[in-house]
Amino acid sequence: MFFQQLINGLMVGSTYSLIAMGYTLVLGVLQMLNIAHGDVFMFGAFLGLTFALLGIPLYWAILLAMIGAGIISILVERFCFRPLRKAHFLGPLLSTIAFGILLQNVATQIWGSEPSRYPQTTEIAQFQLGPILISSIHLIILATSLFLMVAIDQLVKRTRMGRAMRATSENQTNASLLGVDIFWVFTFTFFASGALAGVAGVLTALVYLQITPFIGIRQGLIGMVAMVIGGLGNLRGAMIGGILIGVMEVMNDAYLTAGYRDMIVFGLFFLFLIFKPEGLFGATNRES
Amino acid sequence: MSVYLEGVLALMGVNILMALSVYAMLTTDQLSLGNAGFMAIGAYTSAYLTVKSGVPLLPAVLVGALASGLMGLLISIPVLRLKGIYLVMATLGFGEIVRTFFMNFEPTGGAYGFRGPSGATLPLIYGWVLAAIFFFWLLTRSRLGRSLDAVRDDPEVASTVGLHVTLLKIGSFGLGAFIAGVAGALYAHYMFYIESNNFNFLVSAMAILFVILGGMETFWGAVVGAIIFSILPEVLRFMKDWRLSLYGAVLVSMMIFRPSGILTRQIIRDLGEWFEGIFRTARAKDA
Repeated sequence: MFFQQLINGLMVGSTYSLIAMGYTLVLGVLQMLNIAHGDVFMFGAFLGLTFALLGIPLYWAILLAMIGAGIISILVERFCFRPLRKAHFLGPLLSTIAFGILLQNVATQIWGSEPSRYPQTTEIAQFQLGPILISSIHLIILATSLFLMVAIDQLVKRTRMGRAMRATSENQTNASLLGVDIFWVFTFTFFASGALAGVAGVLTALVYLQITPFIGIRQGLIGMVAMVIGGLGNLRGAMIGGILIGVMEVMNDAYLTAGYRDMIVFGLFFLFLIFKPEGLFGATNRES
Repeated sequence: MSVYLEGVLALMGVNILMALSVYAMLTTDQLSLGNAGFMAIGAYTSAYLTVKSGVPLLPAVLVGALASGLMGLLISIPVLRLKGIYLVMATLGFGEIVRTFFMNFEPTGGAYGFRGPSGATLPLIYGWVLAAIFFFWLLTRSRLGRSLDAVRDDPEVASTVGLHVTLLKIGSFGLGAFIAGVAGALYAHYMFYIESNNFNFLVSAMAILFVILGGMETFWGAVVGAIIFSILPEVLRFMKDWRLSLYGAVLVSMMIFRPSGILTRQIIRDLGEWFEGIFRTARAKDA
């Protein structure tokens, strides 16, 4: 029973990790919050749904949803961040909230506000591992998330683009003096952030099997909580933070009252911000 | 007056109060993305008093607002030292805690919502709005108002000239929470029914948007912002189902093209001079 819950928690948590990593990429490079991130996630889920309904195989649907969500995220950068580069940090933050309203409304117009059911695209196989039941959906979610976590981590640590991102994060003026095209870095960062949210959207939809245009609100906030608990701007922290919250949630639902789940999550979020704003693994954000 | 128009005006009044509650906190440079939480405390407390304990409306609104204000004072102490996005996230977290609390709190209906509060009329709502405006009008003319300005512009200088910065910050946060509590209490007794989702983080975000887009330099900006952006969704009704998209797009473009808001101090000064000019020519004609 306990191990079964642990596996379920890992599965839910890894989707939170992907959302939190997307937040972290943007926050790390720009020191700004992108509240529309949750709605990019929601759009990713619906794009995945649309491709799946067209009969496209799951892995291609995930890839296409990633690209689509990445492009929407680039739009967020173009409209909410780039024109407001010199503004108070509040400007882009509020602008992304407004952009989120827009995305929710567009999604409602395209797909309707009633829950949309996700089609069953793959044959679900189940494996019995001692007392634990693992389905192929579990494995797809865990494998995809793990692969992306390693990929993004290596991308930021080892590639030329990753180095440019880190330089931009440290000091935009210096980076651009040293020949980094910071606008290209912003575009790339938002694309990567949106793509992660898009994958998380499709994977979450595979777990819950139905989606509405409003799922991004809660998932986006939970992703933010995961980021704070892991440490602001810390990619590996965001991964672990997401998994911790996922496991905690599932354990709460299994052993305590499900209704109090979000109260506990946000209570923890609040306590962390006040007593341990650098998170569990240290923040790279200079404001802390 | 048609029911529709009355509804729009009532919500506009509530929005003005919410905008002023954000403005009150901003007077000492504290930004809260959790004022819907304070609104919820005011709403649920007052509604419980009128429905379950038979307390008359006016004292119930006052007690609701005081409960919310007290919570504001309590919250502001730990939150005080946070800055920038940390403060934004902490207040957002607070708002979500309150919302999920009321979603589970059985005495006020839990997830089913709370039915029954009634009695808030337009004159009552606008009585509170006018009282709040009058209060801020007095405040900007007072020594206290100048002190708050000083804290906002530079807390270090303010403290070297002998102002108690911490106390002023806590006070302005409590004041903002109190006003949000009033807004919530009036909202509950106008709507007859409240549920925890009426107080989600979008409500807090809109309250900030009213202030920023109206102009955060004076309290008139908050009032004007709340009025314009409460009417706008109604004006956009011809867009039918797409109106929220257009609303979002208008907000995003406002941020790009007029980041300092509609009403700045400069504009108020210019308007004043313009009126004076009209006065002077009128008097010159009389003479």
